[in-house]
Amino acid sequence: MIIGTVGVKTVTGVNNMGRFARFSWQSMIASLRSCLSPSTYPLIWTQMNIIGVKSVPVVMITGAFVGMTLAVQAYDQLAGMGLEEHLGVLINISVVKELGPVLAAVMLAGRIGGALTAELGTMNVTEQIDAIRSMGTDPIRYLAAPRVLACLLLTPFLIIYADLMGILGGYFVSVIQLGINSRAYWNFSASGVELWDVSIGVVKGLFFGVAIAVISCYKGFTCKEGAHGVGQACTEAFVASFISILALDFALAVIFKSIYNTFWPLKSLV
Amino acid sequence: MRQEIEKTETSQSNGDGVIILRKIIKKFGGKVVLDHVSLAVEKGKTTVIIGPSGCGKTVLLKHLILLLRPTSGEVYFKGSRIDNLRERRLNKVRTHYGFLFQGGALFDSLSVFENIIFPLRQHHRITDFKQVEELVKSKLAMVGLDGYQNYYPANLSGGQRKRVALARAIALNPEVILYDEPTTGLDPIRSDIINELILKLQRELKVTAVVVTHDMTSAYKVADRIIMLHNGKIIADGDADYIRNHPHPTVQHFIKGQVDDDDLAVLRMSGTMSQAQFLPRDFEQ
Repeated sequence: MIIGTVGVKTVTGVNNMGRFARFSWQSMIASLRSCLSPSTYPLIWTQMNIIGVKSVPVVMITGAFVGMTLAVQAYDQLAGMGLEEHLGVLINISVVKELGPVLAAVMLAGRIGGALTAELGTMNVTEQIDAIRSMGTDPIRYLAAPRVLACLLLTPFLIIYADLMGILGGYFVSVIQLGINSRAYWNFSASGVELWDVSIGVVKGLFFGVAIAVISCYKGFTCKEGAHGVGQACTEAFVASFISILALDFALAVIFKSIYNTFWPLKSLV
Repeated sequence: MRQEIEKTETSQSNGDGVIILRKIIKKFGGKVVLDHVSLAVEKGKTTVIIGPSGCGKTVLLKHLILLLRPTSGEVYFKGSRIDNLRERRLNKVRTHYGFLFQGGALFDSLSVFENIIFPLRQHHRITDFKQVEELVKSKLAMVGLDGYQNYYPANLSGGQRKRVALARAIALNPEVILYDEPTTGLDPIRSDIINELILKLQRELKVTAVVVTHDMTSAYKVADRIIMLHNGKIIADGDADYIRNHPHPTVQHFIKGQVDDDDLAVLRMSGTMSQAQFLPRDFEQ
């Protein structure tokens, strides 16, 4: 009985993984084709407006609060050691490398991922996706590719906004509220934060954007019937996106650290 | 009785139909929905598929355009096998079809005009916008809705939505139109408007039509041929008179809208209404 249940769950899990891998592959191919086809640019442009432009305020607010909270939390520890002027390094490196990208991506997963899944799920339930297929159009190319491309292209920019606001939020609390010397704050920040740190945060955005879009589109395309089905798909999309963001963040941290240790010291030789 | 029900009619299944299904089996999980269904859809004729809810009518219709792939069996369109084609090549075949979905399946973010030009945009490069406007106008005039170009699906009634969906289905001048329960959810007058449209399209565009319905008034009005599906098998296949006089009891019960003896017995054995009622005092204790 237990073996049977475990067996069925395993087979179902493997099947779902296979379907997701196939969907991801088809989405990637469709996205590449869309890049080469100017007729699809208006679709991508529309999605960029919905996904990117309308997410700017929420991502900026997230970034600002991250920076401010870090300043409040870290000040006492550093001040106890007389190192409060180093607060800028701690805040800015945390914001640009980890917290800015991850929390901005999580906000996007909630704002965009849920909306994408609900929209595509409703289209699936009301047979609109079948209607697209019946008219000889590939729904992955028409629906998924523009959304994947919009997320891929705009998540890094949204992360830059989050970083910027995080830095400003941290500065506001550290210098204006806590009275740290402004010049020292920026000098220590400039010496501690390298271009590499900012770059990897932004590059992470490419991976996070694709993960959010592909997972959300897949959940929408495979949504079960009824209001419950759409609601369940939205929840699953957010949970899966959130876990993927954290898993990707860990994997990318390991990869980028190896690359940094190998190549960054060579910079001085160049 | 059971043997009678399971006896299938597969007449004309090997004829020279525009769409041919051969020994189609479709399973969802372990459940067999279509069981060795063979069928040839005749060119220029209206074939109506009837049957009780859940008997596999829509599943059969979706196999004609391969929105669903069979578990086993073959599908042919104009003599070429299409069930083994990849989606990309199948998309070209599908441009020969129009499909009217049960709820219309209009894109609610697009206006009526944009819905109708959707298939044109996907398959043709539109350069002359004036010509496209004229085309949309003519398609909407065919379904009696010229002037509704700027409306959105949310602002249309159920019948109007189906008519717009029909205009979209004929946008590419298809050879075959598939109708999934076109009159379901409509009042008798609006149902008749849809029936008249089906006849008009067949008369004027000479299209091959397949209509899935359980509305017998509609079936008798539009059908050249009626097929009855029961438990995933074809149990009757012929013109309206043949179906009216068919000896099979299931066919007779269905076309007359009568519940059969087995179902009636189940209802009688399943308790009385007074037993099924909860009284407030049942909860007071």
